[in-house]
Amino acid sequence: MADDDDVKEYRWETGYEKTWEAIQEDDQGNLEASVAEIIQRAKRKAQMERKGHTRLGMMRHMYIILDASEAMHDQDLKPTRQLCTLKLMEGFVEEFLYENPLSQLGFILSRNKRAEKITELSGNYKKQLEVLKSNFGQPNSCSGEPSLQNALELALSSLKHMPSHAIREVLVIMGSLTTCDPGDINITIQKLKTASIRASLIGLSADVRLCKSLCMTTGGDYGVVLDDVHFKHLLSTHALPPQAAAEHSSSALVKMGFPHHAPTDNKTSYLAMCMCHLDSEEGSKLDGGGYLCPQCRSKYCELPAECKVCGLTLVSAPHLARSYHHLFPVQPFTLIPIDQNRTPSCFGCRVQFKTIDKQVYKCEKCCEVFCLDCDMFIHDTLHTCPGCSTNQQTYQTLSSES
Amino acid sequence: MAVYGGAERSLLVIIFDVHPCQKIITNHQHRFHQVLEAVIAFSNGHLLMKPDNRLAIIGCHSGASDYIFSDKDYAVVPTGINDGQYELFAHVEKCIRKNIKQFLSKMSNNLPAGESLLAGACGMGLCYIQRMKRELPIGDKMNSRILVLTGSNDSASQYMNYMNVFFTAQKENVVMDVCTLEHDQGLLQQGCDITGGAYLKTPQQQGLLQYLMWVFLPEPPLRKKLVLPPPVKVDYRAACFCHRQLIDIGYVCSICLSIFCKFSPICTTCHALFKTPGPPPSKPKKKKPKM
Ligand SMILES: [Zn+2]
Ligand SMILES: [Zn+2]
Ligand SMILES: [Zn+2]
Ligand SMILES: [Zn+2]
Ligand SMILES: [Zn+2]
Repeated sequence: MADDDDVKEYRWETGYEKTWEAIQEDDQGNLEASVAEIIQRAKRKAQMERKGHTRLGMMRHMYIILDASEAMHDQDLKPTRQLCTLKLMEGFVEEFLYENPLSQLGFILSRNKRAEKITELSGNYKKQLEVLKSNFGQPNSCSGEPSLQNALELALSSLKHMPSHAIREVLVIMGSLTTCDPGDINITIQKLKTASIRASLIGLSADVRLCKSLCMTTGGDYGVVLDDVHFKHLLSTHALPPQAAAEHSSSALVKMGFPHHAPTDNKTSYLAMCMCHLDSEEGSKLDGGGYLCPQCRSKYCELPAECKVCGLTLVSAPHLARSYHHLFPVQPFTLIPIDQNRTPSCFGCRVQFKTIDKQVYKCEKCCEVFCLDCDMFIHDTLHTCPGCSTNQQTYQTLSSES
Repeated sequence: MAVYGGAERSLLVIIFDVHPCQKIITNHQHRFHQVLEAVIAFSNGHLLMKPDNRLAIIGCHSGASDYIFSDKDYAVVPTGINDGQYELFAHVEKCIRKNIKQFLSKMSNNLPAGESLLAGACGMGLCYIQRMKRELPIGDKMNSRILVLTGSNDSASQYMNYMNVFFTAQKENVVMDVCTLEHDQGLLQQGCDITGGAYLKTPQQQGLLQYLMWVFLPEPPLRKKLVLPPPVKVDYRAACFCHRQLIDIGYVCSICLSIFCKFSPICTTCHALFKTPGPPPSKPKKKKPKM
């Protein structure tokens, strides 16, 4: 029964849209179950480790280096390493920018012994993915050998100019087991370390000593994928803000603007050119909507943005609020065997507990009891305990503790 | 009836604020019954739309939140003497009246001071919606929404809880509608904007049911085709952590993203220390490494 539960959970976590991929794995028998178990264990561990008030460092600047060599045509990931990586990147970029407001990322490709920066650092995921698709998603996108050193040097040259309060990171997706480098890569690794750039690497084939030492030296994470689901999981660990961030970056108090919507009603019709599309091909949009910089009144159609006129960073407050749950996470619930449980149903969803459930989950703060599904939902998505937040004694303690 | 909607069923969760300090209740005793009648009629209106539509009601005040109507109540089979549909409506009405009476009688004695904890009730609603999604027969489609019906004051003390609820709703494609009877609710308004829901402050008390039917009965996929009140301008200014005041320009801690209205040398949330924003160009000289 426990096994069944685990599998169900694992399907639910990876999302129903990928069930076709899960079916393919059934051919390999036990592998699926063991991979699921690895992910499950990692998730529980991560949940237990996450405590409130950790210093997170949410202004991340990350270059993602993608191996675009011959090795990416390999079909051990379905349909190919290249397409699987592309597909997972789409989800990752969105998740990364969702979990880390005010963060930016960019892409570097490495093929034909060279490295090529295809996007500058930015927080606009739609644009990033467009460029990625046309540069990495084509049948002829991947060729030759990769050069890890060239790619790292390229990332280094952009990242070292980032403000010191930002976290600098490199994430490498490496399909090839070899790299074609012009010099001693260990010197590059030392340079990364000096510039406090944290380099992580996800290998698609097998353990490589050099890759491991890159991550060890710079304080990053190293992992080798077992299958596409595990690949997705490894990626998503990089979407969450790194805990050790405090050592890497010096803290700063950054001045920011919280713009209003530009007036949209017809009477005061305030037509203005937006600053963000001035230099783009489509040209600047002329309309009444958008957001106004509170300092100089320039208009932008999207947030976050950096005001091109006065330099103020413009964000919307809810955008920041999206990450506050990292500071005030819901503490893990206590497992209670079903035969010691006195409540008939889950406080959240009102499902009736049955003896088949084996365990229920109790919040130690408000003492309400939840089912497994709600426990997962509350800790992974909602980030607020419905019991605590409907109770006068507990609903605010998280924020007033500070 | 079937013409009115698409093929998918629709789940409606009503968060019903029954806090006795709402002006609307204290001023006119009978008004609460008017609101209750409107909720019952509106609920039945929703169930009438499609036979597969689902309903839940969560009552909420400062001391507790509880289900007034859920799938548990739904399970009671109509006796079948009358026309089945009307039988069901009578049953729904009976359940709501009975459960709300129970809920109110439990609170009357020792109600803790404070505002209605609507954010928490919305959190329960989201848990319920997740379960309904899980229990949905394979192949069936369902859209879900939460309607908050309240006469309470606006307040920033539940800010975090609200934000977590809004972003979860957005992520799970749950639309949040808000109908406020007395005061404008800036925070809930943001929730409507984030999740694509409708926000309405009823201009007058009398026609509550009409407002509900007109603005909130059409399920979200249909709304594009209807003429509804124009979206309101939402005040997205930030509230500073130090005074909970709304500000245009503020200072944000790079470690934890707490917002302050003035520069201070230490972050009160994460205890990070900040350098004073002095003239920066003088420093780099010291750091120059000897080669
Ligand atoms: Zn400006
Ligand atoms: Zn539950
Ligand atoms: Zn709790
Ligand atoms: Zn302040
Ligand atoms: Zn801080």
